[in-house]
Amino acid sequence: MDYYLGVFQTIGVHTLLGLSAYILLLTGQVSMAQIGFFAIGAYSSGVLTVIFSWNIYPALAFGALLASFFAFLVGFPALRVKGLMLVIATIAFSEIVRLITFNFVWMVEKDGIMVGAEGAQGFREIRYFTTNGWDSSQVVLLIWIFVAIVMAMLWWLDRVKAGAVLRAVGNDELAAQSSGINLTTVKVAAMTAGGFIAGLGGGLYAHAVSYVDHITFTILMATFAISYPILGGTKNVFGTLLAVIFIQGILIEAFRFLEDWRLIIFGLLIILVMNFMPDGLVSIFKKSNPGKGN
Amino acid sequence: MNIEFIDIVQALIDGILYGSTYALIGLGFTLIFGAMEKLNMAYAASSIGGAYVGLGVSVLLSLPLYAIFLIGPIGGGLLSVLVYICCFRYLPSNNHLAALMASIGGLFFIDEIISHETDGSPLDFPELGIFSEAYFEIEFSDMFLGFRGDLIFVMFASFLAMLMLMYLLYRTRLGLATRAVSQQPIAAQLCGISIHQTNSVTFILAGVLGGIAGCLAAASVGVISPLLVLPLTVKGLVVTVIGGLGSIRGAIIAGLLVGGLESVFLLLRGVNERDIYVFLLLFVFLVFRPNGFFGAEIDRD
Amino acid sequence: MSILKVDNLCKNFGGVQAVNGLNFEINEGEIFGLIGPNGSGKSTTINVICGLYQPSEGSIFLNGKKINGFKPNQCVDMGISRTFQNIRLFGDLTVWQNLWVAWKDDRKNQGSWFSNWFGKSESREKLISELLSFSGLETRANDLASNLSFGEQRRLELARAVASKPKLIFLDEPAAGMNKEEVKELRDRIFRLRDLGITIFLVEHVMDLVMNVSNRITVLNFGKAISEGDPESVQNDKAVQEAYFGQ
Ligand SMILES: Nc1ncnc2c1ncn2[C@@H]1O[C@H](COP(=O)(O)OP(=O)(O)OP(=O)(O)O)[C@@H](O)[C@H]1O
Ligand SMILES: [Mg+2]
Repeated sequence: MDYYLGVFQTIGVHTLLGLSAYILLLTGQVSMAQIGFFAIGAYSSGVLTVIFSWNIYPALAFGALLASFFAFLVGFPALRVKGLMLVIATIAFSEIVRLITFNFVWMVEKDGIMVGAEGAQGFREIRYFTTNGWDSSQVVLLIWIFVAIVMAMLWWLDRVKAGAVLRAVGNDELAAQSSGINLTTVKVAAMTAGGFIAGLGGGLYAHAVSYVDHITFTILMATFAISYPILGGTKNVFGTLLAVIFIQGILIEAFRFLEDWRLIIFGLLIILVMNFMPDGLVSIFKKSNPGKGN
Repeated sequence: MNIEFIDIVQALIDGILYGSTYALIGLGFTLIFGAMEKLNMAYAASSIGGAYVGLGVSVLLSLPLYAIFLIGPIGGGLLSVLVYICCFRYLPSNNHLAALMASIGGLFFIDEIISHETDGSPLDFPELGIFSEAYFEIEFSDMFLGFRGDLIFVMFASFLAMLMLMYLLYRTRLGLATRAVSQQPIAAQLCGISIHQTNSVTFILAGVLGGIAGCLAAASVGVISPLLVLPLTVKGLVVTVIGGLGSIRGAIIAGLLVGGLESVFLLLRGVNERDIYVFLLLFVFLVFRPNGFFGAEIDRD
Repeated sequence: MSILKVDNLCKNFGGVQAVNGLNFEINEGEIFGLIGPNGSGKSTTINVICGLYQPSEGSIFLNGKKINGFKPNQCVDMGISRTFQNIRLFGDLTVWQNLWVAWKDDRKNQGSWFSNWFGKSESREKLISELLSFSGLETRANDLASNLSFGEQRRLELARAVASKPKLIFLDEPAAGMNKEEVKELRDRIFRLRDLGITIFLVEHVMDLVMNVSNRITVLNFGKAISEGDPESVQNDKAVQEAYFGQ
């Protein structure tokens, strides 16, 4: 039973991660920074519940807000660059965050033991849920309530002007700008919202598994994050969910016996999809010619 | 710890010498970008992969050590052209992001295969024989600056490789075709140049450079490990951006710069924090000089 | 009264002088034609005025205010909008959404920030349905823009340009690829826009259309104005005939 709960937990957290990349992909931005925001949410909410003994909800909210604040900051320099350069910049950002968690030490003594983040050893004993008597099914339920809320919000977004504007920017930046849309506002807003969702996911993840370290936040995870909406398509939010179920639920969990071949297959899968459906799955990649403006 | 000025100069020297391998990697990224306006994220993986191929083949056939430095680059070239075929050749040519994603897939594919075959643990890589023992010291207004023999060899070999590349690019028909394709793909095609052929050649050339860089880097450290792949990828990208996407001299200068600064950061802040500053450097450039040293004044999409 | 004044406008791309010292003034409410052979710099003129490119030299005044170097969206805020020579719609959005994205409320009854981005508004519903009937796309409101026929796409793009409530609208070859009947419909639409008080800047190769609708015409060749005046005098100008048909 616990095993299946673990799988649901992973799928829930990864769905949040994928949705945070989804909202950016709607605007045509391929961001590898989502795992950086995830890390910020994980560490900051962990510090709050472990070191400052906060309640879980304000801690999660703070983690998500801090992540979205960083996303907002990253949004501006990232705006100056598009496409490939944005990918490089966001990879660098995520690596910077990962290396900071690698060096991040903040420990205090509590009830006779040292708790907190211990640099390369990671951040152990994020035990809010166990000390407060939650059982694992309640934790999984909490995660999925957040997943449902975020999915509902993104679903609703597609029914108001803001959603249409995001897609308009993703379709054709120049035409969007010439229709009166301020690209800076839209892209930074999407980045900030994506940061919030990823930060929330990070906070939930850290508390659900009670241990995070820098290895959680590698480029591999950033690639997972962006590959969900790419594989699932940007038609609606359910594509991302399906892609997570496919990759985490089937490829990674059901094929456990394949061991480290699974990641090899993951690499191969991306290559195959890109070769055979370069824009079938990802209409967003069908960029209009950036050159001439007439 | 008391760090004096001379220590910083010494760190800078070591770093710049070692940075010539970054220059090679940056050159590889830039060559491919110049030819196709695409990023090959699997490039550093195929470079380290080349060094593994060199090591593996030499050990299996019990060849002398220097054979690694011949087989490694060949392996790099082969892997690189394989990446071209799998991640670029059949993708729509105007779809830069699809190729990017595919090559990220290639990156993990190669990286995970290496991890799988070696159980993820580092292997000893032969050092550079007599060069490893050599050490020169010069006196410079009562400061003593040292030059490690192996690093001098690394620098020397890197520059030799670069010179050969320049010769190929600027003095041969092959290079002419490559440059024609990168500047005017359609016109070049009309003149009977096959784009796929020249792109393959570009990938092979880049892969050979990468294989050389991989071997040299591994030899000067004495071990090779799949853990080298991701940092080298990110550093190669940083070098490419700082130099200016598509600029050859930019990549060389930026490679040396990143090598030098990295070594200074190492001295000042330690190994765990070093790369943070290297990557921050990228943001400094993105904010103040988004086209790098020599990048063209256009938005890349 | 002049709504747009362009003073010694230049734009070069590397060595190419696409626009080279252009001067003109457009009066409020008129239809102003810009014609010229292929590559003479017509689209570039529009692109520079609408903020896609920075002018290399010269200045652009909208209602006396200098708008050099404004971004395209700032130009829209100032009351300029445009269509593109190669239609640029939002293909993944429906017809309705395409108009919605560009829609702007009147200055006076501007809703809150929230209702603009996330809410509903009656004036918006009204305007968009008006635009749909203006462009004859009522039945296609919920179809994806990428599924429209060529003629429908042209109409939608024009409607989208009107959705931002411009004072001045730039049309870059709106009749290209249209048959006689469609050109006639287009002409009626242009007149209707003019009757609404919108000033129109028309770039067009279909002489029938420009000569019929324009109040004044400027002829461009190699980025320079070689003739200007009412349609008749331009038509009879030797220099124009030479530019078009060679010596
Ligand atoms: N972005 C650009 N970069 C370089 N050159 C350009 C660019 N845009 C236009 N040009 C050049 O500027 C000149 C004028 O082009 P423009 O598109 O303005 O002509 P046009 O009058 O609209 O022609 P057409 O009737 O074919 O639409 C041409 O020589 C063109 O090649
Ligand atoms: Mg034109």
